[in-house]
Amino acid sequence: MNLWESFISSWQVLYNNKMRSSLTILGIVIGVSAVVFLVSFGRGHEANITGIFESMGANAIYITSASSMTQGMSGATGSITLEDAEALANPNRAPSVALVAPLSEKMTKVVYGNENSTVDIMGATPDIAQVISYPVAEGEFISERDVKRGARVAVLGSKTTTDLFGTENPLGETIRISGTQFEVIGVLEKKGGFIGSADDFIIIPLTTMQSRLLGETSARGRPIQTIAVKAMSTDQIDAATEEVTSILRQRHNIREGEDDDFTIIDMQEILSSMREVLGIMSIFLGSVGAISLLVGGIGIMNIMLVSVTERTREIGIRKAVGAKRRDILRQFLVESAMLSLTGGIIGLTIAALGTWAITGVKLGPYPVQAPMSADIVIIAITVAIVVGLASGIYPAYRAAGLDPIESLRHE
Amino acid sequence: MSTAMIDIKNIAKIYKLGDVEVAALNEVTCRIETGEIVSIMGPSGSGKSTLMNLIGCLDRPTSGTYELDGIDVSTLNDNQLAEIRNKKIGFVFQSYNLLPQATAVANVELPLVYSGVGNRRQRAFEALELVDMANRARHRPTEISGGEQQRVAIARALVTNPSLILADEPTGNLDTQTSNGIMLLLQRLNSQGITIVLVTHEEDIAAYTQRTIYLRDGKIVSEKKR
Repeated sequence: MNLWESFISSWQVLYNNKMRSSLTILGIVIGVSAVVFLVSFGRGHEANITGIFESMGANAIYITSASSMTQGMSGATGSITLEDAEALANPNRAPSVALVAPLSEKMTKVVYGNENSTVDIMGATPDIAQVISYPVAEGEFISERDVKRGARVAVLGSKTTTDLFGTENPLGETIRISGTQFEVIGVLEKKGGFIGSADDFIIIPLTTMQSRLLGETSARGRPIQTIAVKAMSTDQIDAATEEVTSILRQRHNIREGEDDDFTIIDMQEILSSMREVLGIMSIFLGSVGAISLLVGGIGIMNIMLVSVTERTREIGIRKAVGAKRRDILRQFLVESAMLSLTGGIIGLTIAALGTWAITGVKLGPYPVQAPMSADIVIIAITVAIVVGLASGIYPAYRAAGLDPIESLRHE
Repeated sequence: MSTAMIDIKNIAKIYKLGDVEVAALNEVTCRIETGEIVSIMGPSGSGKSTLMNLIGCLDRPTSGTYELDGIDVSTLNDNQLAEIRNKKIGFVFQSYNLLPQATAVANVELPLVYSGVGNRRQRAFEALELVDMANRARHRPTEISGGEQQRVAIARALVTNPSLILADEPTGNLDTQTSNGIMLLLQRLNSQGITIVLVTHEEDIAAYTQRTIYLRDGKIVSEKKR
């Protein structure tokens, strides 16, 4: 009896016990689809978040007011000023710093014709482009001159452009931000589906932002929200952090032993700890699926044991007419492998449908990504077959070891 | 003396039930020639089933030698015995022992599946024709009568062209008329050269055979030639 014939005869046996086979398969279906779906989902989430952080500049550090972590995007300002940013840009005092890009943000209403939208307005200098690397798709980016003059010019993220202008050409058009007219001079390239809402913002010159939209000054100077600092290289991030800390502590008159009144966020560090957390999440999600796969495997073993008992007489007949131990062993192994393989394939199909259905759904601020990669598919199918064989080994071994005389007497 | 189909010498089969040893067969010696049709009779517990199992290579003797068609089978392992059963012996059981889910022709084909020969379907049909069951080839065992089931079982025993057919009370579940039909069929097969050994309770059935061996308490007590 060759393997192909074993498959045919196993198929007939499983087909003749449709209800039982389907229920047994269901256990594996649930296990495999859960593993594949949850792992894909976890990975998509990881990629999403990693992407967001990477787009913020991987070898950048961000300095914010100590309180701004909680006040965040609301436009609150604290201890950091534009003058601080200028001090950090001094290459003698901060040799590891390559670039300093001061930044203020405010969510505000933007109007063009009848269209309006609430958008994150970022007041920045031209250097910001080198930190967050957003290439210009059309027109031009804000220039040093725009910053000096406090020009009312705006560069739009690709999503903001579509929201306000649709298919119209936005270049040269006038939009109103908080009642002030701005000329659109450029549109940024789309960063891709990875981080959809990251394309929804407008960049204007920092000076314009301060005079038109924020209009506050403090004792120390013109407050800003964030200073993005780019280190000379990834290796020099730590050195840059130290230099920045000492300059700012000195400027803010913080004595030794006192806490900083600003916060330094190292993107690399956040990214790696984030990856760690997300990795644990993926493992956790995967194990939930793995447990159901294990339960499915036990289901197969159970049903195969019942099957061996029920078919004792059949085994006796087969042995009497010349079936060898290995023939019986193979027959039962193929049956259990077929159960689990069928379950695995159906489970994969369900997982594929599931990931397809959930992709793009907005869960929180970002659309869900759940890419079903080849490795997880191969792993899931392999595991399903291994589970099937492992669950089948004991029952098959028992069947193969049956004494033909006893088996023929079995009622 | 030519090679016998079955040559059993001083065979014993001892079962251990706890500490007690029970001899199901005790120093049995017998010889069945190629082409014979022989019946074995005896009361329950006389050891005739044990003897049949040994002759059918389903079991091994505790002591003694057994040559089947010139091959010493008392020392073979399980796989070798399976091969002997497959190639040399055809079994017919009292309760037919057909696979209930399989059609008649698939049942007849079963031994060929394990011998790995080609042209199996056709050979199975030919065997069914020999027992006049070709018209029932596509029926499942539950769809045909007991006598028909036994004919299918005989076809299954025939399909590998065995030198020996072993029938364990082949008519035990059948009425007299059907039993006679089965016995005539076995006689016809015997006349074509196949050695046949059958176990029976009934003298009427034994009357179809050339020779009857009587067993009692694990020993051959007498023999009758016709």
